Amino acid sequence: MRLTVNRVQYDIDVEPDMPLLWVLRDELGITGTKYGCGIAQCGACTVHLDGLAVRSCQIPAQAAEGSKIVTIEGLGTPEALHAVQQAWVEHQVAQCGYCQSGQIMQAASLLDTNPDPTDEEIDRVMSGNLCRCGTYPRIRAAVKTAGAKLRGA
Amino acid sequence: MRWIVFVAAMIVAGGAFAAGEHGLDVNRLEPGSVSQAEGLAAWGRIHDVVSHPRCANCHTDDANVPMWSGPEYEKPGPHGMNINAGESRIGAEFLPCQTCHATSALPNTVPHAAPHAGAPWMLAPVEFVWFGQSENAICEQMRDPERNGGRDGDAMVEHILHDAELRSFITWAFDPGPGREAAPGTLQEHLDDTIRWVAAGMPCPGD
Amino acid sequence: MTRAGEIARRAFLVGSAAIAGGVAFGLYAVRTPHANPLLAGLADGEATFNPWVKISKDAITLITSHADMGQGVASAQALLIAEELDLEMGQFQISFGEPAAAYYNRAMADESLPLMATDERWTSESMRTAAGSLMKLLGIQGTGGSTAMSDSFDKLREAGAVARETLKLAAAEESGVPVGELRTEAGAVLLPDGTAIPYTDLAVKAATLQPVTEVRLREPSEWRLIGKETLRVDMVAKSTGTMTYGIDLDVEDMVHAAIRVNPRKGGAVKRLDASNALQMRGVQKVVEVTGGIAVIADNTWRAIRAAEAVDIDWDDAPYPAEQAQHWEAVAASFTEDRLDRTWRDDGAAEDVLAEAGNVVEAEYRSPYVAHAPLEPLNATVLVGDRHTDVWTGHQLPRILQQHVAAITGHEVSAVRFHNQFIGGSFGHRLELEYVKLAAEIAVQMPGTPVKLTYSREEDFAQDFPRHIAIGRGRGSVANGHVEAIDLSIAAPSVSASQMGRAGYAVPGPDLQIAAGAWNNPYKLPNFRMRAFRVPELAPVSSWRAVGAPGAGFIFDCFLDEVIHAAGADPMLERIRLMEHDVSRKVLETVAEMSSWGGELAAGKGRGVAFVESFGVPFAQVVEVTDTDRGIRIDRVWAACDAGTIVDPVNFEGLIQGGIVWGLGHAMNCEITYSDGMVEQSNYHVHQGMRMYQSPEIIVRGLQNNHKVRGIGEPMVPPAAPALANAIFAATGKRIREMPFDKHIDFV
Repeated sequence: MRLTVNRVQYDIDVEPDMPLLWVLRDELGITGTKYGCGIAQCGACTVHLDGLAVRSCQIPAQAAEGSKIVTIEGLGTPEALHAVQQAWVEHQVAQCGYCQSGQIMQAASLLDTNPDPTDEEIDRVMSGNLCRCGTYPRIRAAVKTAGAKLRGA
Repeated sequence: MRWIVFVAAMIVAGGAFAAGEHGLDVNRLEPGSVSQAEGLAAWGRIHDVVSHPRCANCHTDDANVPMWSGPEYEKPGPHGMNINAGESRIGAEFLPCQTCHATSALPNTVPHAAPHAGAPWMLAPVEFVWFGQSENAICEQMRDPERNGGRDGDAMVEHILHDAELRSFITWAFDPGPGREAAPGTLQEHLDDTIRWVAAGMPCPGD
Repeated sequence: MTRAGEIARRAFLVGSAAIAGGVAFGLYAVRTPHANPLLAGLADGEATFNPWVKISKDAITLITSHADMGQGVASAQALLIAEELDLEMGQFQISFGEPAAAYYNRAMADESLPLMATDERWTSESMRTAAGSLMKLLGIQGTGGSTAMSDSFDKLREAGAVARETLKLAAAEESGVPVGELRTEAGAVLLPDGTAIPYTDLAVKAATLQPVTEVRLREPSEWRLIGKETLRVDMVAKSTGTMTYGIDLDVEDMVHAAIRVNPRKGGAVKRLDASNALQMRGVQKVVEVTGGIAVIADNTWRAIRAAEAVDIDWDDAPYPAEQAQHWEAVAASFTEDRLDRTWRDDGAAEDVLAEAGNVVEAEYRSPYVAHAPLEPLNATVLVGDRHTDVWTGHQLPRILQQHVAAITGHEVSAVRFHNQFIGGSFGHRLELEYVKLAAEIAVQMPGTPVKLTYSREEDFAQDFPRHIAIGRGRGSVANGHVEAIDLSIAAPSVSASQMGRAGYAVPGPDLQIAAGAWNNPYKLPNFRMRAFRVPELAPVSSWRAVGAPGAGFIFDCFLDEVIHAAGADPMLERIRLMEHDVSRKVLETVAEMSSWGGELAAGKGRGVAFVESFGVPFAQVVEVTDTDRGIRIDRVWAACDAGTIVDPVNFEGLIQGGIVWGLGHAMNCEITYSDGMVEQSNYHVHQGMRMYQSPEIIVRGLQNNHKVRGIGEPMVPPAAPALANAIFAATGKRIREMPFDKHIDFV
């Protein structure tokens, strides 16, 4: 099976139903994508699959074959932060931080299609991402800041 | 709008998935060969299926909100996480259904996971509303080509066969995986009942 | 076990008993500092001045020994050292250090005493000092009870100052310039001519000097970092997926393990058949562990799937199988023989209520709730010939070492514990079971590192939730005011359950049954508050704020009912009854912030609640709207007084998040038992709050409290009662049971 993750091609030999999450974490050692629930209730495992934010715990390896996958590591790096990551740092969103890879990937996807979301739109898109620390007020603010950055405002 | 491009891309992706056999026995019946009473009895069983949470939860009204109902829930309510599928009915305006519901013909094996099927997850078109509707209203809708996707009786049968080939939503409803109650009966029985109902002239209880 | 450990086993964290034990050690031991654990591993040319600072020619390392579960104490600890050491954020690296008595937590003692936080009589302060001394003697290193800042505030500033002065001395000896003419700034000693000597260049010299211990701490007006906006040290890593949590570790040649342990917690295995699992791809081994099995595989997912495929018959639970039986046991415990302690008996509540014409009576319930932090439990253990290595995030490192040593057979000192950043705890990482299970597996795989990862389902099934409680209140009013309250709360002892698992007996009354109910500094004319102890039911554990979320909900909502019966204003009556100036100011502040008393739009309602916990008086006003889709929480105003605020950005975020936590669980979370097993298996049925439900939260921290307090927990207890009181104001409906969605819908 062949996957492209963060522009690197990998050939993997796994069961067709091994979730992409575990392919990333345990087979490829790409651990910024987190395991939280395994049933698409928390969003910590969110990655971009051919440009669409998806819960990687729900994507069988077979369904990811041939796809282009971007993880949090591929969005930006500490040295070259993506606009969403910059906003996350500016607002100091993270507490435990465990959900934030998924939050950031979801927010980046939202802003990709809607760079100037209303509060209601943010709430509709981001409510599938659980944060046990309750950082929602800052996530909301950071999404707006990131949108402004992306719009060049 | 940008999401329209997105919808088109998803539909192509879904269509490209078509593969496999439906694996069902198609025992076609001549029109008129089934009595009104038998047809209505078949409809009753069809109604038990389509009004079941596995089906009705995603046949909802123009609020575009899928439902969570059934024995797994204390009381019926809107899908958690503030989900709204939008007018696109696939969530393209907000959070696409496919963010959590994968497109895969593999069996559903993980309890309480977001169910997946062999077609891109979506709400049924808004005119197909079943959730909270009376039995007769659902029946009237299903036989009305204006409100059933332009299908006549044969197309209705074909719809089930096509779904089975894709391992799509109807097929999933009878095999939703652990932690979820299946729709009553089997897909084969549902197909047989649909053929009977069509052959009886699609009678409804209010006729 | 060490002598101190033996003492600890008999009397851990218990006020009077602890002090009695402490006296035996004498004053000498109390005054002698613990050895600096950094000395042992010091390389040539490295200098250490105390257990918190290490400098080499390449790096400045600050030891932040309190565990960081997301509350930001790694950053805050470093900030306190950096303040006095004149380091900028970013000029140092941090390390959790190794477990050591030197890192004992003095402040934890405060939370172990049956004293009101507002009680500062000299006798009470002496008890605190004595209990703190015992913490030192026992070397109890722990993070919990919102104590990290109170423990660290002076200690770490002193550590920074000692390092600074010693580095200046080194610079003086190197340069010949008198110490008095030297300054420090941004990681360097400055000579009068402006030459900057980086600390790292002074390491070799400093290593030869005795640390300067006579130091002066800076005045608040001189602070550069404390109270200022700084960037948390973990923020960039946590925003880029580059933070390595325990679950992300990859130790060379590591194997992956998953467990299945009897969901009837504490029950045994009757029969098991692992033949199916053994045939699954990647599975290497199935081993027995206490109460269940572990599968060892080459990948976490394969291990979890195979563990689910093992066919097991479980034995019964050592507690009632059905939830209704748990409630019955609590309800049956309001009896004299189960009276744990009468915490308050001011005035003559019993007599007044006996005479009162109208008595307000109500019963309240607080359910079991799961911790469920987002990072599932995990631990990596390597059992070698001479050492055991443990990599995980944990809040009680030295107790962990003892438990692991007992399993692997190594000396306690040969258990090398490598603490990790934790993806949320809320009390979960005070427990030891996951580490013990990992050690049990690793001991069967000597020489091979084993990473045990819990599935989310196993994490829910094996969690020890917050205890359940029932409160029964009777109250009366007179002349438009509260006249008398007689409140009884019955609950199992979380302290006994949790400390029992850790191996310690807890004599005396349980402080947590009534925490949040007895200690609020109100002066009610007649107030009796009694705690009743329910015999042990299912195992329970500290859940963020421990007793106060349940008992605080019961107390404050019942007070609200009596105030309402009196026809008084909920805010004004609370302010009137408040006896403690700092606390009254907190209430007055939240009233001012929320413009309490103003007109509200139709369908809106506001509730106020005040609960003191962990020494922090905390008031919240919640505003809700009763919509056709249910209750919507619009806004929360929060005021508290935790003394000096170390990191204001983190302070605000932590309070907002904790309020989301408190509200979310009050809305829709509970754990229930059926057939001896927890019924909730994942977040679909224990949801908490989602973003669309999250209100605007406006926070203000007053700084009149002269003690520095922690803020990891105190925002939680007032959230639920403020919400319940707001729902009452909006709808006329009194909800007396959490979660509230059993009684009302939420948007």
